Amino acid sequence: MAEVHLLYDTLVVGALLFGIGLIGFLARRNMIVMFLAVEMMLQGVSVSLVAWGRLHNDWGGQLLVLFILTVAACEAGIALALVLTLYHRSGRLDVAFWHALREANQPAFVDHELPDDPHPKPVWPELPPAGIEPPLDDEILVEREHRIHV
Amino acid sequence: MSDAGFDSDALMVLIPALPLAAAVLIGILGKVVLKERSHWPCVLAIAGSFVASCFLLMDVVSLDKQDPHSIPAAEHAKPSEHSGVGIEELNTLWTWAWVTDAYRPAGGQDTTAHKAVAPAIADFRIDITLRADPLTCIMLCMVTFIATLVAIYASGYMHGDPGYWRFFAYVSLFVFSMTMLVSVSNFALLYVFWEAVGVCSYLLVGFWYEKPEAAAAGKKAFLVNRVGDFGFALGVFLIWTTYGTLNFHDTTAADGSLVMGVLGQARLSDPALFVGGTTATLIALGLMTGAAGKSAQFPLHVWLPDAMEGPTPVSALIHAATMVTAGVYLVTRCTPLFHMTPTAQQVVAVIGGFTALLAGLIAITQNDLKRVLAYSTISQLGYMFLSLGTGTLVGIVGGMFHLFTHAFFKALLFLGAGSVMHAMHHVIDMRRFSGLRHIMPWTCWTFWFGSLALAGVVPFAGFWSKDVILASAHDRAHDSALFEVLYYAGLFTAFLTAFYTFRALFMTFYGPLHTPPEAHHAHESPPAMTMPLVILAFCSLAVGAWFEWTHGFAAFLVRTPSLAYAPVYGEHGVHQDVFHWEVAITSTIVALAGVGLAAFFYLGHRKEVTQLGKFMQSPAGLWLYDLSYGKFFFDQIYAATIVLPLRCLAWISSWFDRWAIDGLVNSVGRVPPALGALLRALQTGMVQFYALAMVLGLLILLGSMLIWQPLG
Amino acid sequence: MSGADMGGAQDLGAQWPYALAMLLFAAGMWLLLPRGERGGRAVGAGLAFAGLALLTLLVHFGLTIHEAGARRIEFVGPLPALGGWTRDGVFLVLAAMTVGSAIGAVTFRSPVYCAIWFAMTLLGTAGLFMVQGAQFLAVATVVVYAGAILVTFLFVLMLAQPEGHAFYDRISWEGPLSACAGAVMVGLMTMTLSAAIEPAPAADAQEGNSAAAQPTVAKWLEPKLAADRSANVLASEHVAGLGARLFSTHLIAVEIAGTLLLIALVGAIAIVAHAENKEPSTAASSAAGGRHG
Repeated sequence: MAEVHLLYDTLVVGALLFGIGLIGFLARRNMIVMFLAVEMMLQGVSVSLVAWGRLHNDWGGQLLVLFILTVAACEAGIALALVLTLYHRSGRLDVAFWHALREANQPAFVDHELPDDPHPKPVWPELPPAGIEPPLDDEILVEREHRIHV
Repeated sequence: MSDAGFDSDALMVLIPALPLAAAVLIGILGKVVLKERSHWPCVLAIAGSFVASCFLLMDVVSLDKQDPHSIPAAEHAKPSEHSGVGIEELNTLWTWAWVTDAYRPAGGQDTTAHKAVAPAIADFRIDITLRADPLTCIMLCMVTFIATLVAIYASGYMHGDPGYWRFFAYVSLFVFSMTMLVSVSNFALLYVFWEAVGVCSYLLVGFWYEKPEAAAAGKKAFLVNRVGDFGFALGVFLIWTTYGTLNFHDTTAADGSLVMGVLGQARLSDPALFVGGTTATLIALGLMTGAAGKSAQFPLHVWLPDAMEGPTPVSALIHAATMVTAGVYLVTRCTPLFHMTPTAQQVVAVIGGFTALLAGLIAITQNDLKRVLAYSTISQLGYMFLSLGTGTLVGIVGGMFHLFTHAFFKALLFLGAGSVMHAMHHVIDMRRFSGLRHIMPWTCWTFWFGSLALAGVVPFAGFWSKDVILASAHDRAHDSALFEVLYYAGLFTAFLTAFYTFRALFMTFYGPLHTPPEAHHAHESPPAMTMPLVILAFCSLAVGAWFEWTHGFAAFLVRTPSLAYAPVYGEHGVHQDVFHWEVAITSTIVALAGVGLAAFFYLGHRKEVTQLGKFMQSPAGLWLYDLSYGKFFFDQIYAATIVLPLRCLAWISSWFDRWAIDGLVNSVGRVPPALGALLRALQTGMVQFYALAMVLGLLILLGSMLIWQPLG
Repeated sequence: MSGADMGGAQDLGAQWPYALAMLLFAAGMWLLLPRGERGGRAVGAGLAFAGLALLTLLVHFGLTIHEAGARRIEFVGPLPALGGWTRDGVFLVLAAMTVGSAIGAVTFRSPVYCAIWFAMTLLGTAGLFMVQGAQFLAVATVVVYAGAILVTFLFVLMLAQPEGHAFYDRISWEGPLSACAGAVMVGLMTMTLSAAIEPAPAADAQEGNSAAAQPTVAKWLEPKLAADRSANVLASEHVAGLGARLFSTHLIAVEIAGTLLLIALVGAIAIVAHAENKEPSTAASSAAGGRHG
């Protein structure tokens, strides 16, 4: 594997990450997933930067990725705070709900009807809350009393 | 510098500066700080101006005494400042405008005659120069004296008005403008302050601007004055193109050579230095148009009666005593220019005589006390112009003399009317009150003084000045049929004057006591108002006789440069020592007849007027009455012939502007919204749509880069 | 350069395999994205895989129209012990893992699964960093991204996610269009790369067949490729070198980045606290919803 080959391959991987993130950002409606997609695009850029830094024999690529990391952390913090606020206002994470800034005479965005979800979210067994005395069945109580008396 | 120990330069500056400072002070502090004390800066400043004016007058008189009282008739005096036959003091403060070599007469004008009156090349230079000469001093003393009294009076009259401070700010500003108007020594500056007094008049006529009539009257006064000022401006332009200067006085150019002013002593000493013929006539008529506008002469007299909507002290100060006399001042100041054109002088005389008669005829039927006085003012101003139009030195001095005396007794009458209004709670219709002498003795007796002076009864001030005017017309009547007619018109006007004055006096103060219901507690006015009345009454009695007997007024006034050179033009000097017994007796008889007729009709039980009543019931009588009562329908005629066509033009212009021009602009303006409407569909409000748009743009950029500019 | 321009323009027409790969990739992505119904995901996965495989063939194994050159310069990396095919294999596995989990991260319905797939992507990215010789970044990515940011995402998901699959997770906005846009973007970038690194040797090819056999690389690349990286980005004391640069040349940037983090922290708290205070009713209802979640 030659240097240029490595560069080439890595850049293509970066482009793919960027493109897939772009698809996710454009297509997905869940705001959190959208932000995941944005982070993914950043990752694609980071990969490319490191590859170019290596080719140019320069620390700049890696340093820039470090700053991207910082900015991404900030962005994630702010964005998640905003997402949470929006969720509190609307009760949903749907980005299409927020289209009030459209032109006055534009029709509102309406989803087409969806079939029922054939696979509802599975109900997992719940763990009892830790640190609290568990509620006891009458049977167990009776059994205990029985044991004590015995 | 005078031997009286006063710095005349400082006095000249102080006279306008004090009212200006008061105006600024009241304007800034009046509303919040001064409030009900706003009259103090105004009264003190104007009184200070009056004192300064008196000192300046003494200064100029002392100059008069220094010079040998000789008017060279044949040989020309050596033209230089201060040594000519006219006396003038000049105080140049700073240069306001200076365009070098601005004056280059066009080739067509470059005739020999033209070369004589104007330099080949001249600067356009306006120095802020204040002047002091007899004419200016007399005007300054008169203006500041009347203004002081009116300001004191107004402190009582305007008491409690919400715009109290505003009123005194305006009055101070007016006094500043008026003092500057008579002090400046340049036509351009004269025009500036001519407009400034117009603005003050506008502000004060429309002082109660909530009242629609007052606002309309202010507007009318301003607009009618625009017509006159247009003529004035044309006259000034013509003066510039003819004489190459706008200064009154002679100045010294940068190279030390003498630049003759329009009315400078150098030019005055030689009639050949003035243009004659059509140019002179046009200049004079332009100036006369401005004077007619400001002094409410026919056909521009219609604004003055409406201007009575302003507060009465304003009517007394601006629309009777001072501002309206600016036209007379202008014509007097420009006497040499009028001298060159007998045609224009005749126009002045005819306008003056006709206006005097017309206004007198209107005044006899008016029921509004202030209107009567307003038409009386127009009529008396007409007298002054008639006098100026005779063109003789006697006439001009007589016109100024009448201006001077008229200021006192007309201010007195207006202030008396204001006192009545004050008591009658702003009712001014004479039919609604009578017999007020019982409750307002001071006002009544001072009104008597004013009426006698206005009617021209011996020995009141109006008698002496009116006598001079009629005498000057009578002198000219020997050689001109026109002036004969004007003389008799003047005599008839004197009769009318006496009649309507005493009609007003008798209707207001005599008969049974009767007050309108609005006047809850009719009472004599406070001392702040009666005190000026008494002072003015004394002046009305004394000022005419004193000046007439001492000949002080005429002898002093003719030392004004504009008048001092009259002998050069073939005048015979002042014939003050020749008292016209014939004219005096005639006019006295006429005046007494007017008084008697008024007493016959309006004093007593008015039963004797049935005969007249029968005549008035006839169609001819009704027609005559309506003609006079309707003010000869000038307002209606102007409305139909001038206002209506202009309104039509304005409507057409408005329509064209709204539909044609605005339509064009609007149709251009509709293009961006139309383009925007196409793009509006993109504004879905969906975040992802915007992101997609950005990505598509990026893709197009990348693709095009790849196609047309590969990286290899 | 005019010849290069012509060559570039001609190349576009010859690069139809890239277009085919991207077409397959786009179709697969469309089928994989949530569309409201379940069907076609396997087909989509197959298509996307086919597309990516074709791309791998084109890019990595040199099945380009023009022979890729510059393969002779030996690879000096952090894995010197591995042979040529091993290194290729490691890279390919990491790349496949990264890209595959990335596709999973954007296509799964449940945001929780998305987050977990994204964690997988981050691990793959860290591996790629390692292959590139950026050990510090590899560790930092795992620690900061997977350890901190992603956990924050999951916290928010737990706070905000309603029960069951929300309808907006089962549907996409303009899926085909988005997939095409992404695919075209990738394709354009790849083609740009091929044009940049493997310039068409149009002039050289006419001189003789031997020229085609010679490694061709852009002139500006040659000194870069020949550089000795062992003293710099691939130095043994890698973290020390990075730190030295970071805290000397880029010290102000580091300070600014620290300030930025602080501001973001304050801002995030302010935004949430402000919203809570301002609308107590909605906040209470959402808190109730949160408990349900």
